[in-house]
Amino acid sequence: MTIIEISELSKSYRVYQKQEGLRAAIQGLWKREYRNVDAVKSIDLKVEQGEFVAFLGPNGAGKTTTLKLLSGVIYPTSGNATVMGHVPWERNNDYRRRFALVMGQKNQLWWDLPAQESFRLHQQIYQIEKNEFERSLDELSDLLSVRGLLGRPVRELSLGERMKMELIAALLHSPEVLFLDEPTIGLDVIAQHNIQQFLKYYQAERKITILLTSHYMKDIAALCKRVVVITDGQIQFDGSLDDIIESFSGQRILRLQLAEGQSADGLERFAAVESIELPRVTLRCPRADATKSLGEILQHYQVDDISVEDPPLEEVIAKLYTAPPEKAE
Amino acid sequence: MLAASGATADMEVDMANTDKKNSAKPSQYKIKHPSYLGVYLTFARNSLVRDMMFRTNFILEAISSLAWSFMNIGFYWIIFEHASSIGQQTGWGKYEFFVFMGTTWIINSIVQAFFMPNSEEFSELIRTGGLDFAMLKPIDTQFLISFRKVSWSSLSNLVLGFMLLGISLSQLMQRPENPWQFEISMLVLYPLYIFCGVSILYSLMICLAATSVWLGRNQTLYDFWFYITNFSRYPMEIYARGWGFPLWLIFTFVIPVLVVVNVPARLLAQPLTPRASWEWPLAGFTLLAAAVSILVSRWVFNTALGAYRSASS
Repeated sequence: MTIIEISELSKSYRVYQKQEGLRAAIQGLWKREYRNVDAVKSIDLKVEQGEFVAFLGPNGAGKTTTLKLLSGVIYPTSGNATVMGHVPWERNNDYRRRFALVMGQKNQLWWDLPAQESFRLHQQIYQIEKNEFERSLDELSDLLSVRGLLGRPVRELSLGERMKMELIAALLHSPEVLFLDEPTIGLDVIAQHNIQQFLKYYQAERKITILLTSHYMKDIAALCKRVVVITDGQIQFDGSLDDIIESFSGQRILRLQLAEGQSADGLERFAAVESIELPRVTLRCPRADATKSLGEILQHYQVDDISVEDPPLEEVIAKLYTAPPEKAE
Repeated sequence: MLAASGATADMEVDMANTDKKNSAKPSQYKIKHPSYLGVYLTFARNSLVRDMMFRTNFILEAISSLAWSFMNIGFYWIIFEHASSIGQQTGWGKYEFFVFMGTTWIINSIVQAFFMPNSEEFSELIRTGGLDFAMLKPIDTQFLISFRKVSWSSLSNLVLGFMLLGISLSQLMQRPENPWQFEISMLVLYPLYIFCGVSILYSLMICLAATSVWLGRNQTLYDFWFYITNFSRYPMEIYARGWGFPLWLIFTFVIPVLVVVNVPARLLAQPLTPRASWEWPLAGFTLLAAAVSILVSRWVFNTALGAYRSASS
């Protein structure tokens, strides 16, 4: 069942073109130059119920703008979108009761008050039954292990703890669709891992639909089967992570552990040498040649251990952002 | 209580059913309307909790606004040492004017306690993009923005306003001509016109704050508030001469701040009979102005939301 349907959705902003220097700044008082920035250019996308989709793209690619359009916070310039049958920017209460948005860089909890008080406010706004509220709060605070922190003012919490509270605030009303905008930004590895684990569990348990933007490949690799790559306001790629590697990287990394006393001289005949730190050697070759190269290497060298890997995801993605896809063989 | 538990049972059944089907809409239970009163009480409570957290700040705020009021009254006291009334035959003697001032304090402290912090924050939410969260909530956005915070310390002037009102009215009971008399209608009309005045000021503020959507930043809120309330702070008779008349027209009919204090204050301070012929239409106009102000503020607010572009995160 299709939950999110986006067709030809576009959003452009008119921005004031600032000029450098004082003189230009003063001129800017009465004469301003504007330019149009197309944040999102005619995007089409369908998301099924229960999917966990990652939006991937460089800064300013239009990921957050898309989430904001889907949350109804801003109006599109053109195009359509429906989420659970609602047009988001009509902002009717039926829709707003059924989804949530979490933004890693903004917080909605009352800064000076314990998170608990903000949660109670949400209970009122979303009209959550008392029992239901307490059950959800118990469950969520246990899952995120923040139960002991509920009574502490939000400003005294660490960034990771605050993010967990933000998640609780967003999930108390059991949304069916969740938009996460860089939920792990700035967090340490442990907090990131905790939040990943939580999201994974919660999504699997509730079968809710989640759209996530993140810069951390670990988030995406851990959570999302489907990845939508957005660059420059357009969808470059829509598929699984494996597919990305398939279609965007025609290369393999060969890691060899050479036997004692074996020199690495002459390896460049078989594959490009990335690094040599005897006894470990890293090579790179086109995917189609990997088997052949390995066979030849094994004939000429004594090798204790071998592994063949895809290039690191970060590298693939970086390439994806900047260049058109290499043709997969 | 019974109804509530019934609803819960329904919900559980519903949840159980949908769990089995794993349907896309697990929550098909009845549309629940947010309880605006409940939300408001939670806002008020949370604000109080926060105010109490910063106790010293709270006390200082209360003291400074009280001090300002006392200085004010001292200032006018001195002026009335030199003159017995504002203008001639206007009916605004010392204690009549103190009734006027008490009314000003009451209205201002209500606005400052309930609406000022919210309007200010609205402007800030627009600039920082924090408005996003308010727009996501299944509740009227203008309500959410307008009533989020209560600045409890500002209510100290409300108490002072009522005290001044009480003292001045008791003095007016000894007025040689037309001594002040309590009328039951005052109990209805005075609060009604206070409400109208507050509505007009609130609308002005929220409209002004909403302009941040287009201006990117608007820090003139306090300044503007000061200018505007300056005009509303004196009896409208002072505009009756010379070039005061165009001012009177503008601040009565375009930005109706003159009626905010004048109408309720006049109601109490001046004897009910005789009344000048223009006073009844003015009272009617005030009701209209309050209603129109609220509608305009709603329109401006919604237009602003439409133009809101959110700050990028």
